[in-house]
Amino acid sequence: MPDDHTLPAAIRTATAVTGGTYELPVYPFVEPAELRGERLRHPVVIVGAGLTGLTAACDCALRGIPAVVLDEDDTVGVRGAASRGICYAQKSLEIYKRLGIHDRMLAKGIQWSVGRTFAGSDEVYSFDLKKMQTHSVSEQPPFINLQQFYLEWFLVERIYELGLVELRWKNRLIEIAPNEDHVVLTVVTPSGPYTLEASWVIDCCGAHSVIRDKLGVHATGSKIPDRWCISDVRFEREPPAERWTWIEAPFNENRAVWQHLMADRVWRLDYQMPADADPEAISRPEVVADRLRRQFGPDVKYELVWVGPYAYRSLCLDTFRVGRVLFAGDAAHVMSPFGARGGNSGIQDADNLVWKLALVLEGKASERLLDSYAVERRQAALDNIRITNRTTRFLSPPTRVEKRFRDAVISLAREFAFARAFVNTGRLSSPSRYADSPIAAGEHAGVHVQNVALTLPNGARGDLVELLQWCDHAVLGFLYVDLDGYVARELEGLEERYPVRFLCVQSEEGRTCTFPTVIDDEGKLTAQLHAAPGAVALVRPDLYLAGTLDEPSAADIERALRKLLAIE
Amino acid sequence: MKTTLQTQPKIADPDGFYEKLLDAHRGLTDEQCAQLDARLILLLAHQVGDDRVLAECIEAAARPFAEAAR
Repeated sequence: MPDDHTLPAAIRTATAVTGGTYELPVYPFVEPAELRGERLRHPVVIVGAGLTGLTAACDCALRGIPAVVLDEDDTVGVRGAASRGICYAQKSLEIYKRLGIHDRMLAKGIQWSVGRTFAGSDEVYSFDLKKMQTHSVSEQPPFINLQQFYLEWFLVERIYELGLVELRWKNRLIEIAPNEDHVVLTVVTPSGPYTLEASWVIDCCGAHSVIRDKLGVHATGSKIPDRWCISDVRFEREPPAERWTWIEAPFNENRAVWQHLMADRVWRLDYQMPADADPEAISRPEVVADRLRRQFGPDVKYELVWVGPYAYRSLCLDTFRVGRVLFAGDAAHVMSPFGARGGNSGIQDADNLVWKLALVLEGKASERLLDSYAVERRQAALDNIRITNRTTRFLSPPTRVEKRFRDAVISLAREFAFARAFVNTGRLSSPSRYADSPIAAGEHAGVHVQNVALTLPNGARGDLVELLQWCDHAVLGFLYVDLDGYVARELEGLEERYPVRFLCVQSEEGRTCTFPTVIDDEGKLTAQLHAAPGAVALVRPDLYLAGTLDEPSAADIERALRKLLAIE
Repeated sequence: MKTTLQTQPKIADPDGFYEKLLDAHRGLTDEQCAQLDARLILLLAHQVGDDRVLAECIEAAARPFAEAAR
């Protein structure tokens, strides 16, 4: 259980609820001001306190937006389904470093390095991530495994700690009425119904979004005839702390099986089932026990933590913005779980959206900036759907010929390293490039900038995320130019008119500069910015490159900033 | 788009290669032949190793079937 030093008294005394064998927190219903007759216009209302909604809420709190979060439940996770996502990729960890829960995630989560892939009774190949060459220059590990509800729990506590955002538990949205300059939401609570007004609404209601349906937003997608059943268990005698994946498991009628370790020594076992399996039948305790005995032997001793049968589909809204309503997470896009792209993409949706919303609310950017959210994150969603659909096709080949190619891949992979690249049991979530971004402001726009180590202006050793925090989450303007007094004054003028902070970049300690100086002694930042001498690189608050400009004038930089902020 | 496929004679001993290809299939069932071909395609593709050339090979090989479907 998380330590509770950050919790307000009301939460510390909250009772616990049992979800599986986990003890989950229960948060109190507090009667909202509207039920006492107050009429308020909230700048941002977030509907749904899942991963995406809580990430957005936490970012709002950091950026000074007093958002309201509505959630129909009063705990983390889904009641009776206390574990869903289990893997958080590097970009998400970078985001959570900025939001301030990264260290708790790392302390609680699990990092594995050895993975083994099996087909039939023997191993096809194995790898050790520690011995593999990595192209990553991030300060964060490639991923960690952690039950989703822990992450939500840390976010809730962080939001209470920051104190600005109001979490309204047991508040269920039933109606939405968009207007020209605001949105009216109707909500039911244990004390009765009420309406509230929002300037902006973020729909994080999940795959069964009411808002999406009420607003009649069109979506395209397809059903996928693939069914799985999760069993989360604790063993008396644990398997090795490695990730094992069976493409064809003899103990599961030659269907796929996953075996991952999560926090609290709980193992996630995920079994591919026949497409027509009855969800109720395959999750009965005696059926689960039978599966475990077939996998681990007749004497296996375990404690069943949670069982969850699931099917999936792919779905993507035709647009992620309808007026003052923005769609994020599963409410906007649904995909198969392979590669942990659902949860991780919802987190990145929130990261992409909230800085834009904050600048619009502060009057520093045009409302059209929000259209860039819709374009960029919809493109990322379509990337994710395409990539997860390829995994589905490998894991459940729909025709004989596709099965035959898979057999060929497996048989070659046993002998030859090259064929292992074709084995597709999921491609871990990685940041999309925003190729069609409407706010591209220079060369290499839309490329993710990893959280590299550097020396901060105060002389401390730190990283890019800490620099962003030091600059109050503004746009970062990295200067590789020789400044004379005149140009420096012009840039200071830009800092007054736009949400940008300029920084000189040097490869070693030396000359002083008009602006705060960062030392990129390993050259990792400069390489990612593709910055040559004379360049200025603008980095967005979500750590994407807005663009690198080659020997720009102050007027060129201003034009780029206006493009980035959608001010024409 | 200009093709990058090599279409002029190149294999020194075409008859010898063709014979080896047929011999590898000898005595196999149709299903085994299909399995052999799938392995062979993947091995050869790796020797080619160029995404654009591979895409053009797939397109050229599939052309009669694409036209038939039209």
